[in-house]
Amino acid sequence: MAKEELEIEIGPSGKVTARTIGVKGPRCLELADLLARIVGREESRTLTNEYYETEQHVQDATQVRQRRN
Amino acid sequence: MSTVVILAPIVIANWPVIAAAVGAAVGTLGFAMTRTAGSTAEHAATTREELEVENSEILPAMAGEEERIVVEREGVRAIFTRDARGALRVCMEGTGQSRSELRRLGQELIDRVTQQYVYHRVVTELKARNMTIVDEEVAEDRTVKIRVRGW
Repeated sequence: MAKEELEIEIGPSGKVTARTIGVKGPRCLELADLLARIVGREESRTLTNEYYETEQHVQDATQVRQRRN
Repeated sequence: MSTVVILAPIVIANWPVIAAAVGAAVGTLGFAMTRTAGSTAEHAATTREELEVENSEILPAMAGEEERIVVEREGVRAIFTRDARGALRVCMEGTGQSRSELRRLGQELIDRVTQQYVYHRVVTELKARNMTIVDEEVAEDRTVKIRVRGW
């Protein structure tokens, strides 16, 4: 299993870019929320493929279970 | 990767925290703290420029705490104060510099103080949540890169 990491870049004027790496599903949003509370105002948030892929897997599994029942 | 978030800093702190950030940041630009603010009279500034730190809120000082930091570098003085509205303000004074030069230098000082404040706050808050910094480096453009695990 890939290690979960948070990568934070603090730019020369204090602007922060943070990326979650290997964090599955909505938990990565909790980390983004935490950083927003620590640093200040959120300018943008992007959910990358991994977030949606993970969510899709959960959804697919649920649909399979429902079909079996 | 799953999320990328971009955050603009808001400086909310009491005076001692700001003083620590100023102290740590200004040295990187060759400025040194003056011992007392009383030496102002000796400094014959010919040009003056004032800048406010956007998105800053400095909490009122405790009784007896001076809300003023003075730093100097060859012919230039920067005075950090808390203004009446509670914002952090920097007054740049110089001899022989244009107002635009003083403004540029003042903005550079503000950027470094803000970065120092954000770095300290991020590291302190993450450690308080038992998160571990596994790697840290400073890039050529002064961007600080931190990798965190364990939550």
